[in-house]
Amino acid sequence: MAVITDSFIPPRDRVARARALHGLLAAALLVACALSLQIGATDVRLTTLLAKLAQGQDLSQMERVVLFDIRLPRLAMGALVGAALAVSGAVMQGLFRNPLADPGIVGVGAGAGLGAILAIVLGGLLPLSLAGLVGPYLVPIAAFLGGWGGTLLLYKVATRHGRTSVATMLLAGIALAALAGALSGVMVYIADDNQLRDLTFWGLGSLAGASWAKVLAAGPLVMLALAASLTLGRGLNGLALGEATAAHIGIDVQRMKSIAILTVAGATGAAVAVAGGIGFIGIVVPHLLRLASGPDHRTLLPNAALLGATLLILADVIARVVIAPAELPIGIVTAVLGAPVFLWILLKRRGMVDL
Amino acid sequence: MSLIAEDIRVFYGRREALRGVSLRAEPGEFTAIVGPNGSGKSTLLGALTASLPYAGRVTLNGREIDGLQPWELSSERAVLPQASRLAFPFTVLEVVRLGVQAGTAGDRPEVPMQALARVGLAHYAERTFQELSGGEAQRVMLARVLAQVWSPIEDGRPRWLLLDEPVSSLDIAHQLQVMEIARDFARAGGGVIAVMHDLNLTAMFADRVAVLAEGQRLAFGTPREVFSDGILSRAYGCDLRVSAPPPVGTPYILPHAATA
Ligand SMILES: Nc1ncnc2c1ncn2[C@@H]1O[C@H](COP(=O)(O)OP(=O)(O)OP(=O)(O)O)[C@@H](O)[C@H]1O
Ligand SMILES: [Mg+2]
Repeated sequence: MAVITDSFIPPRDRVARARALHGLLAAALLVACALSLQIGATDVRLTTLLAKLAQGQDLSQMERVVLFDIRLPRLAMGALVGAALAVSGAVMQGLFRNPLADPGIVGVGAGAGLGAILAIVLGGLLPLSLAGLVGPYLVPIAAFLGGWGGTLLLYKVATRHGRTSVATMLLAGIALAALAGALSGVMVYIADDNQLRDLTFWGLGSLAGASWAKVLAAGPLVMLALAASLTLGRGLNGLALGEATAAHIGIDVQRMKSIAILTVAGATGAAVAVAGGIGFIGIVVPHLLRLASGPDHRTLLPNAALLGATLLILADVIARVVIAPAELPIGIVTAVLGAPVFLWILLKRRGMVDL
Repeated sequence: MSLIAEDIRVFYGRREALRGVSLRAEPGEFTAIVGPNGSGKSTLLGALTASLPYAGRVTLNGREIDGLQPWELSSERAVLPQASRLAFPFTVLEVVRLGVQAGTAGDRPEVPMQALARVGLAHYAERTFQELSGGEAQRVMLARVLAQVWSPIEDGRPRWLLLDEPVSSLDIAHQLQVMEIARDFARAGGGVIAVMHDLNLTAMFADRVAVLAEGQRLAFGTPREVFSDGILSRAYGCDLRVSAPPPVGTPYILPHAATA
């Protein structure tokens, strides 16, 4: 008889740690929000405004405009875009079963970008009735469709029997980005001056164009995607064992994958539509969270939304202060901070069998 | 309340990997599937678990599996694949918990640790799965499927373990341990179907054996009925000798290669 005795050791619970982290991240988000309202090009300060209100004084016209029409929509947009990008990254990594997948890197962002550009340039050609119907949602919806097409295509090309080849995924992503870039280039020729200004502004990856209209345009799509991501936790956990095993433990794999792809497309599409291409949030945030509290998607996804929003708001604060009174496109800030972290992840994983 | 496969055919493209295989496994029994590499053992298991398209009929506990949803199937049977790769650094305990669904017997908080203890790896609970050796990983995966169908029989319905080469990378002590776990599961009222390469272990533990060759069932019966020089040599295409030394009479298989 091969009896092998064993003792019970109560395991440290990473789920508990992830929950604690949840509270911590929520607090960090609040701090980031306060900071973002405090700091800006004008010397309107949140603290002064609060003090004024506390003493029953009215805010000046200028203070109202700065607070309600400039900083608040910008803050809201930063939070939405950051949460959307981080959650897209986490879902995509779960779907592709690969911690290096990222909507920006593998061309989903490019697909969404193409959709947005087509909408900006060709939107005027829509029959008026239809244009009136979709109105401000035209660009986000087009970006969503572009992102969806990109994700589907990428998944078809890069995945065989539930396994994603990283090389294929990256190369397909490059092809997709090149194609989207070329078509976008054509659009630049067709565009009139007004549209051209929209395009340049948008292409830099920036929150500078923030407005309540944009927040309202992107908000519903992002919220929908975030809500959908909350249903994916157990499914993506199961998928980590492979598609066949995921099905064996009771997951409707096809349905779950469709929801995951729509989630990525919706979140990436909405983010790209209002803020252009902002890189590295989608890969750095989930990675940091996995280091802190493990890869369980049930906690990873909500935490990614919080940390993504926080980091993007902070990056925006940095973008606004480093060369004040001018400001950097936020895409530059996330790249400068994110690219080294990404390289560090690569360096650490270099020895592993399946990068 | 059995697992019945009737006339199963599976095509990979144009190649027919299974050409009409039938099988009937009973709860309370350990049913082994043996045969040479490429004979269709994993493919048969794939059909039995509805993980690939097949023609024919598979009935699990009286219901045809074709119309069942993944979560209905997962509460009645657990599947150990031939090889497992994990995409993210889950701990061993987290991996064991992955298969456990709310509302099942495995859902009791102590079950995953008990399943790990059953395979002798409770002290590995906090290790990262990706860093385990091949055999350790295989035993953790066995703990995962055990936790999924923790009670061998529930509400009068037997649960099933479908194992693809459960002992292929284990040392001899753990081979015995895992075979005992599977047999105990059957003795307690559950059903076990396992793909096996070690014919001697199969002879010791299996109640019934199906021998596959080239996508067809060559023989099906108790080890004593099925393990004969003729059948095995034909299945594997090499000279095999079976003896059944008294007093137990368990068949014992030796290759006969050193005669040249
Ligand atoms: N995905 C696939 N595509 C095409 N052919 C396949 C596929 N999977 C298996 N086959 C073929 O079907 C036949 C049966 O394969 P199967 O995996 O069932 O063999 P097996 O009996 O489990 O072998 P082993 O002992 O090596 O695990 C083999 O000839 C194999 O090459
Ligand atoms: Mg096999």
